[in-house]
Amino acid sequence: MTSLLAHIDSLGRSVTKNVEYTARVLLMVYLSLRATIMDRTQGFRQIVGVISAQIYFTGWQALPLISVLALGTGAIILLQSVSNLSMLGGTQMIGNFLIVMIVREAGPLLVALVVIARSGTAVASEVGNMRANREIEALESMGINPLSFIVFPRVLGGIISVLGLAFYFNFIALIGGFLVTRFIQDLPLAFYTDSLMRAFAKEDVLIFLLKNGFSGMIIFVVCCYQGLSVKRSPHEVPQVTTQAVVNSIIFVVVFNLIVTALFYLNQLRSLGVV
Amino acid sequence: MKIESLKFEGVSFTHEGQEPIVQNVEFDFPMNEILWVKAEEGAGKSSLLQILAGLQIPQSGKYLINGENVVDMSFEEFLPYRLKIGYSFDYGGLINNRTLYDNLMLPLLYHKVLTPEESKARVEAMIKEFGIEKFAQERPAHVPGRIRKLTCLMRAVVMQPEVLLLDDPSVGLGQDSVYIFADHIHRLRKEGWLKHVFISSYDEKFMNLFNYQIIHLDEGQLYFQAVDPEKRVVHL
Repeated sequence: MTSLLAHIDSLGRSVTKNVEYTARVLLMVYLSLRATIMDRTQGFRQIVGVISAQIYFTGWQALPLISVLALGTGAIILLQSVSNLSMLGGTQMIGNFLIVMIVREAGPLLVALVVIARSGTAVASEVGNMRANREIEALESMGINPLSFIVFPRVLGGIISVLGLAFYFNFIALIGGFLVTRFIQDLPLAFYTDSLMRAFAKEDVLIFLLKNGFSGMIIFVVCCYQGLSVKRSPHEVPQVTTQAVVNSIIFVVVFNLIVTALFYLNQLRSLGVV
Repeated sequence: MKIESLKFEGVSFTHEGQEPIVQNVEFDFPMNEILWVKAEEGAGKSSLLQILAGLQIPQSGKYLINGENVVDMSFEEFLPYRLKIGYSFDYGGLINNRTLYDNLMLPLLYHKVLTPEESKARVEAMIKEFGIEKFAQERPAHVPGRIRKLTCLMRAVVMQPEVLLLDDPSVGLGQDSVYIFADHIHRLRKEGWLKHVFISSYDEKFMNLFNYQIIHLDEGQLYFQAVDPEKRVVHL
């Protein structure tokens, strides 16, 4: 009995801790947005500079890696789907299958994982080092709100970068993947593009914006939050960076899962299944 | 708006799990003075300066600036006061991904206190005065510690504040830099800036470059000690 109670107690603590963490992260989003709006004296140019630097590091510099990943993913999914759909006699469904697999599911997750690995870690360690080196306090002492100068530009730059990278990933995966496998499969380009265009719906735009936009926000807010949680010592920086990666992956995967589940439940409801 | 008075009313501040830095302190800080904040090692001089700068918030009591309690103020509400306060850390504090020049320009450009041209002229004049032209376009990690410390001090005065809080300013500085910095403070005070200066230091030689009064932080309480500038004798 004691053991069962202890387990329930442990589970309760874990849930409370996660809810509290989520609430703190959301509070930081609100406060950084508020600080940016409220801070009337702020140098807009300075903030734009930080945003463009973030887009350069997170978006532009990730293009080669995203290109390779998109080509590989697109080619693999295309080859597998062409061979399997041909056997089932459903080649005309190729567009629907690719849109679902690449645009709705694989794209947002893979882009988010690349951004977490490349930029999330960089942001968490950068902000953590700024904290340890007292740069955050120095900004405050100069009357510069770290939430509007450090957090907000990184989050906004991150969202723009993830949206851009996801669009690029989808394009390269769908078109590049087709061209790479052109010599292995014999699907006509006109048939392929026509199938894609027919499969593409306005819900895909909504899912694209929702999943990628929020993934970008989650990654950079979590990473900034973890970075800011460093107290004084540089030895905490690797610890918070690891935690930032773990938390970002969990939040992004759970968010993607929820969006997908809600979307398909809604689809089933509209079909009258549930 | 000018800063006319700084006052503690029942202020207590403790770092988590440590002895109190200040405990229920009632203190009216002398104004228009250079105040030497003295205390034993680890007694909390830096924390006291950080409370005065608004970087640490007391757990209880009132910190009054011009009679207005600033403890409960938001970042935005406290901003007008903050822009009148210059603060220099005992170590660190420079923005590492910006050059020394950009570090000095940042507060001026961010708050638009001067036009970009005026800001540039002021910063370039300071860089020349302090003799760090060679390092101005380098980032903090690429310059000697002495230059980093000096830049940190320069940034604290670049906005020409009314209140200047310096935490161990002479540590790590060369003798020449100490004299240049002391001269700069004297000049700005003559021009009407840096009216209220608080310096925490163990360096008596450095402090003797100023006509100071002493505030003593001891066992969580603040005591004022007047000093005769001629004889340097403490009147208890």
